[in-house]
Amino acid sequence: MRKILDGLKKYFGDFGKSVAKGDIWTRLSLVVMGAGYIGRKQIVKGILITLLEVVIILAEVLVTGPYMAKLNTLGTVQREEVLDLTTLTKTVNDYDNSLLILLYGVIGVLIIVAFVFLWISNMKAVYRLQEMKENGEHINSFAQDVKALFDGKFYITLLTLPSLGVIMMNIIPIIFMICIAFTNYDQNHQPPTYLFTWVGLENFKQLFTSGTTVTFSYAFVRILIWTLIWAVAATFTTFIGGILLAQFINHQNTKCKKLWRTLFIVTIAIPQFVTLLLISKMFGNYGIVNTICSNLGITDFLHNIGLVSSSLDYIPFLSKPGWAHVMIILINIWVGVPYQMLVATGILMNIPTDQLESARIDGANKFQIFWKITMPYILFIMGPSLIQSVVSNINNFNVIYLLTTGYTTTNMAFANSNAKETDLLITWLFTLTNDYSNYKMASVIGIITFVICAAITLLSYTRMISGDKEEEYQ
Amino acid sequence: MKKTVNIIVRHIVLALLAFIWLIPIIWLVVTSLSAYKGVNYAHFFPTEWSLDNYQQLFFRPDTAANFPAWFKNSMIIGVFTCIISSVFVLMVSYAFSCMRFKARKPLMSFSIILGMFPGVLSMIAVYFVLKLLGLTDSLAGLVFVYSAASGLGFLICKGFFDTIPVSLREAAKLEGASEFTIFSRIVIPLSKPMIVYTVINSFLNPWMDFVMARLMIKSKNSADWTVAIGLYNLLQRSLIGDYFSVFCAGGVIVAIPISILFIIMQKFYVEGITGGAVKG
Repeated sequence: MRKILDGLKKYFGDFGKSVAKGDIWTRLSLVVMGAGYIGRKQIVKGILITLLEVVIILAEVLVTGPYMAKLNTLGTVQREEVLDLTTLTKTVNDYDNSLLILLYGVIGVLIIVAFVFLWISNMKAVYRLQEMKENGEHINSFAQDVKALFDGKFYITLLTLPSLGVIMMNIIPIIFMICIAFTNYDQNHQPPTYLFTWVGLENFKQLFTSGTTVTFSYAFVRILIWTLIWAVAATFTTFIGGILLAQFINHQNTKCKKLWRTLFIVTIAIPQFVTLLLISKMFGNYGIVNTICSNLGITDFLHNIGLVSSSLDYIPFLSKPGWAHVMIILINIWVGVPYQMLVATGILMNIPTDQLESARIDGANKFQIFWKITMPYILFIMGPSLIQSVVSNINNFNVIYLLTTGYTTTNMAFANSNAKETDLLITWLFTLTNDYSNYKMASVIGIITFVICAAITLLSYTRMISGDKEEEYQ
Repeated sequence: MKKTVNIIVRHIVLALLAFIWLIPIIWLVVTSLSAYKGVNYAHFFPTEWSLDNYQQLFFRPDTAANFPAWFKNSMIIGVFTCIISSVFVLMVSYAFSCMRFKARKPLMSFSIILGMFPGVLSMIAVYFVLKLLGLTDSLAGLVFVYSAASGLGFLICKGFFDTIPVSLREAAKLEGASEFTIFSRIVIPLSKPMIVYTVINSFLNPWMDFVMARLMIKSKNSADWTVAIGLYNLLQRSLIGDYFSVFCAGGVIVAIPISILFIIMQKFYVEGITGGAVKG
């Protein structure tokens, strides 16, 4: 924390110094950003930077400016159509589109922030140039500057395009959706016909209150619990299953290791939307598995012991809560184990053999070797990625959504908030937006999902990116 | 004696497991060869066999099942996404792994935090951004969606680059090589397994994905769809009775090239993953 503060202090301190000690060219750069470069004979660079400044300012004033002015209300003029009876043409008034106002507003604000940083950094660069000139140091020509972009400053060349992509695909959408959580954008307030506006923390309150018609808190608590159970269960079952399978295949007594591995890998290779939809049909109410079960008398047996209510003539694998929950986790084992097997195989092959050897000489049996040497080694390597996979299971959309396409809830409390018992937060969010256009609640749920994921990731944060060890391997 | 029993039991267990894992695949294949178009609820194997589903898939496209168009769309998206995102991942990984600059650590932390936002959440907003750019319902739009943020997936590849001995790069630098030369002449040729892994992954991503395409393509014209959307659509309640075995045939056709890629690249795949995973 203090490091950040010190950094900021230095950042703005340097800026102040540049302004205070700058000569005429440097100070002129406060207004015309390229002036400092032109004054030191870096004419092309100076012109380019001034052009950039002009383009940004024009874009701000002409494109995003009008939208940003309305950002505080998100628009006031609703769309109205007037039908002119004499000419039978429709005229539409000059209406406000809240969605565009918010979107352009967010983009405009981001550009301003970026511009301020650019402006400050530019001042510092220009001042540095002035110092170089005073000390008689060599000042790069334009060609040398370009060359530096492929050498010492190659990282700028490398990172520019990917960063732009991330800004457009991640940063702008995320900020936009966070803003939506504080508005009343839902099916009754859809632009361009209607306006939406800021409502503060109203949506968060709604998520935690429950009434007779609005049941978000009822559904939310249950879905949250199921999401966490699912994430932990799915991660550990596939993890342990994968390691055991890899161990089993890699054993010295197993013949044709490659063939076995390939058989399992085939299941990863088929896209999930094919296999999962297929499995959901196999386990459907009148699907093939039910036919086989009833032919074998399993359905009757389950009737007798009371696991299936007698009013049903099928086993509700994917259509009743409880049954569906268990089935989803089981089917996920089918989906996830081959992949974990593949990862674990790679790691098992790299276990230092001298440790296994010495353990064997000391008289350890197979189970002791597995639990005392192999497992700790795998956990050491996979620990961080294990936590990552809990996070990605929280966001595991495919398995749940594709398996439960035929699931309809009978619980009114769930139905009122457009949820069902088997939903994860993420699939609930998807249904809310895709089928019910309830963007405001979806955003709130998204923010909460993020907070949960962030909290879990913090557990592994330091190990993953502290990067203390990255130099050791080089 | 004891050893033989062990070997036999071991293989029987493996065969049993493999059988369980392959049941859905077998069902997929046999159903695709069924003469009956709907879901066969009574029998595992079809009562009548026929290749008609494949013929229908390729030569008789209709408004519901326009497989040639879907396949073409997915192929185009796959190839372009593959090129762009592989290049992005390699670029970002090199910058973070082999170069040292002030903003490096903050940027890395920042990108990991970004990765924690649920993708589905931002997707809705991505749709609006695409609309702003006029790219909805177009292949270019989907390529953009799949590849623009791919730079964030640098962790595994960076882990691999970290293992390339720093002395190699220093030696090149002493010889007067620029960073660009080191990147293109030394690091890239040394990272074949990693590149194969990255390329396969980014090619498969659009083939396997379903959610993004579902959200981004609102067009009702089936010629605009990708394989995922098209096949999913065939299982609608009104279509499933006539198209289920066509769906299976489509699934088989999509799976064949991907399976071959997977099996051939299995070795690289394992190396690629662990090369990065050792770093944690």
